[in-house]
Amino acid sequence: MIRVNQRDMDFREGMTVKNLLEDLKYSFPNLIVRINGEYIPRESYEKTVIKDNDDISIIHPIAGG
Amino acid sequence: MKFLQKDETLCIQCHACESTCAQAFFKSDDRTKSSIKIFDDPGERNEIINVCNQCGECISICPELAIYRAKNGVVMIDKKKCVGCLMCVGFCPTLSMRIHKDFLEPFKCIACGQCAKQCPTKAIEIKHID
Amino acid sequence: MDTTDRKDSVAKIKEAHRLLKRYEYTPQKIQRGYTNKTLYINISDNTIKSKDVPEEIKDKFTGGKGLGLWYLWNSVTKDTKWDDPENEIIISPGPVGGITQYPGAGKSLVVSLSPTTGSVMDSNVGGHFGPLMKFSGWDALEIQGKAKEDIIIYIDGNKGIVEIYEVPIGPVNSHILAEEVTEFFAESEEEKRNISVISAGEAAEHTLFGVLNFSFYDRRKKVQRLKQAGRGGIGTVFRNKKIKAIAVKYNGVKGDSNNPADIDTIRKLGLKLHKEIKEHDKDQCRMREIGTAHLVEIMDDYDLLPVHNFKYGSHEEAYKIDSKVLAKKVVQGSPDGCWHGCSMSCAKAVQDYELKTGPYKGHKVVVDGPEYETVAGVGSNCGIFDPDYIIECNFYCDTYGIDTISFGTTMAFLMECYENNILNKEITGGIELNFGNKDAAMEVLHQMAKGTGFGKIAGLGVRRIKNLLIEKYGADPKFLNDIGMEVKGLEYSQYVSKESLAQQGGYALANKGPQHDEAWLIFMDMVNNQIPTFEDKAEALHYFPIFRTWFGLNGLCKLPWNDIEPPDNHLTDEPAKVPEHVENYVQLFNSVTGKNIDKEEMILQSERVYNFQRVFNLKMGFGTREHDIPPYRSMGPVTEEEYLSRQERYDKQLKELVGVNPEKMSTAEKIEALREYKYKQYDKLVDAVYKRRGWNKNGIPTVELMKKLGMDFPEVIKLIEEHSSE
Repeated sequence: MIRVNQRDMDFREGMTVKNLLEDLKYSFPNLIVRINGEYIPRESYEKTVIKDNDDISIIHPIAGG
Repeated sequence: MKFLQKDETLCIQCHACESTCAQAFFKSDDRTKSSIKIFDDPGERNEIINVCNQCGECISICPELAIYRAKNGVVMIDKKKCVGCLMCVGFCPTLSMRIHKDFLEPFKCIACGQCAKQCPTKAIEIKHID
Repeated sequence: MDTTDRKDSVAKIKEAHRLLKRYEYTPQKIQRGYTNKTLYINISDNTIKSKDVPEEIKDKFTGGKGLGLWYLWNSVTKDTKWDDPENEIIISPGPVGGITQYPGAGKSLVVSLSPTTGSVMDSNVGGHFGPLMKFSGWDALEIQGKAKEDIIIYIDGNKGIVEIYEVPIGPVNSHILAEEVTEFFAESEEEKRNISVISAGEAAEHTLFGVLNFSFYDRRKKVQRLKQAGRGGIGTVFRNKKIKAIAVKYNGVKGDSNNPADIDTIRKLGLKLHKEIKEHDKDQCRMREIGTAHLVEIMDDYDLLPVHNFKYGSHEEAYKIDSKVLAKKVVQGSPDGCWHGCSMSCAKAVQDYELKTGPYKGHKVVVDGPEYETVAGVGSNCGIFDPDYIIECNFYCDTYGIDTISFGTTMAFLMECYENNILNKEITGGIELNFGNKDAAMEVLHQMAKGTGFGKIAGLGVRRIKNLLIEKYGADPKFLNDIGMEVKGLEYSQYVSKESLAQQGGYALANKGPQHDEAWLIFMDMVNNQIPTFEDKAEALHYFPIFRTWFGLNGLCKLPWNDIEPPDNHLTDEPAKVPEHVENYVQLFNSVTGKNIDKEEMILQSERVYNFQRVFNLKMGFGTREHDIPPYRSMGPVTEEEYLSRQERYDKQLKELVGVNPEKMSTAEKIEALREYKYKQYDKLVDAVYKRRGWNKNGIPTVELMKKLGMDFPEVIKLIEEHSSE
């Protein structure tokens, strides 16, 4: 189990930040991702592997409508 | 196209070009009114001489059609049409569009060549290309 | 229409027009963003006069929408209806409006009593009219009365002349009228750029959701482009008053025309934002490339794009109308700000679009847009995934003077009624209004312009159509009230709010009705989960509506606040507020007016006007809790197909949030259980928001609050006391 924006989500062995964003359909290019408080830059999404019990925050910063 | 070509390796940072430009353009001794800028510290952009290369990007930025390319290829500002929005300043790829608090409109190098005549090292020269 | 035709038409108008009134004035020099004069025109008896704008009123209402509300308040009684001569249309840009250096500083705010809500309406619009009017000497234009024949009002800001002409002939539709009026008043080709025209269109006469088109002359395309004061039917009021057009001409806009206290700071702030936009817009919202339509695929991905009357939030064909497709349709590389200095440039144009239907079939035209709201409203929400239809519909809505948002939401509602046999071919006159039937939707649009057939019913808007179907055709009121996407009589704008309680409140609590310009909290709430508690949501529903009100007091556009953000914004304490840009606005206001406000005083300026508007609703017989309740479609699944389409999500909510076991329940029972839960949540939200705003349980601002804000006008206090003792 992982936490994403304070909501529980199933953990999958080997999943990367990129996989997670795709699962969640987060397509906006300019997200702010943190894992256990640590900022993950965009260029690291593909190589950053998520661990079980990670607490992840994904913020869509631009306020839309 | 006429433009001012620079060779930074030759520049001795004497600022004579700035004084000449401010004098020629605005009859002023205030070097901050010069269209060419010489940096004593090259800074992040690693640049000593900053001056318009007449690329014309600003022409398409200006909604007022106040910026145009003259017959000799030099990019000019029609001050009558300009509303002082400064978009051309913000969007200039080489940051060579100038503003000064005494003027509502921006100003820029028109490749008149006055500064080149005063340059002791030929670090700047007027060039013509097709 | 080619140039020769236009010249002929203008010549005919010149022959037929008759001067009814001429008023000469000495244009006031602007002092720090204000002219301190308002132009009052009564078109019943052609009175024209100049009114002072007292300091006290500026202090309380700031300008823009604030001034508009104040003038309207003094002109109408609780019994005044939108089509009474007493109703006014007030246009005001606000003190910051008209500066040329900072993006988004040319908005006009329009205020009037709305045909669809019956209460006070405000709508903001770009284009050059507001600033040019101010440079002509007027902080606001106040129009009252009703003309006998069609009139054009003209302001010449250089000569100091206001004229009213009777113009009985000639076109009404905006894409032609705006050009002809420009031609009429321009003394040379060069002068056209200094003219802005307000017009509506034929459908504004025959529907209740008419818009006002405010023009700006596009120097490159040599055409008057149109921006819309879209919401709430002010274009309908305009045509009901028999105003055909209002034109202003002012030659000589310069960087200091607004005569600010400190132009140097304004230039620095503007330049900083220009650079920010240049560097980051392409990686953020791509406003310069495609404008607000960049949102189409983002909304689809988040399940927020309205589909089939807000039933669903995404559709497999959405890619056909997304920003990648639209970017190929609009002119690229052309800076399209609707006022000088707007490097955000969200306005887009399709050039040489050949119309396929209607009275202008075969004409090649310039179409403004399409913006996100239009794509979602007339497109996905109606199940139509055809970019050319969207462009054509956008064109006709604009020129006929119809709000694309209300048109889209109303049409989507009608389509759902049709698919549920509440409407049938007998009622529609043979039109098959299934979801996705673009020809049918287009036919209804053309009927709206002519005021014929089913267009007459469709043009009434969702609330009146609901009542008609219930009363005349025996439709089930519960179902219609569930699926009719309106609150207070205004149609919803185009976001699915089912999974965001805060946005349900953002819509239903909004002063004028469910328009997202007041509060847009979906990302904060649903996507980012940054405001999980009722108190968090209430705080957001206090701060953001109040903060956003401020744009409307000052003639500013919301987009450059948070559709571009500094790259380090996420490191600030409150990224959703975009602190650096808020500071820009504080400095802009001070640099224009010479005052010394801080961000707390900025909020107070808005709070004064926001609460005054709430009390204005009360004056008109609304403004209490019962008018703040959303239709269930905006909160959760109304129908079984809707529930089943996202069964996993809703079952999970029943289990985890409601605390029931969905396995043993029928779909109907599940819908009912979820509904009960969601309305209870909504009620708790409303309690929390009212409390945070300083209102009583019935949603009425307290006397103490109005006193604290300095808005304790005797009539305001009397109203509050009357309603609080009930």
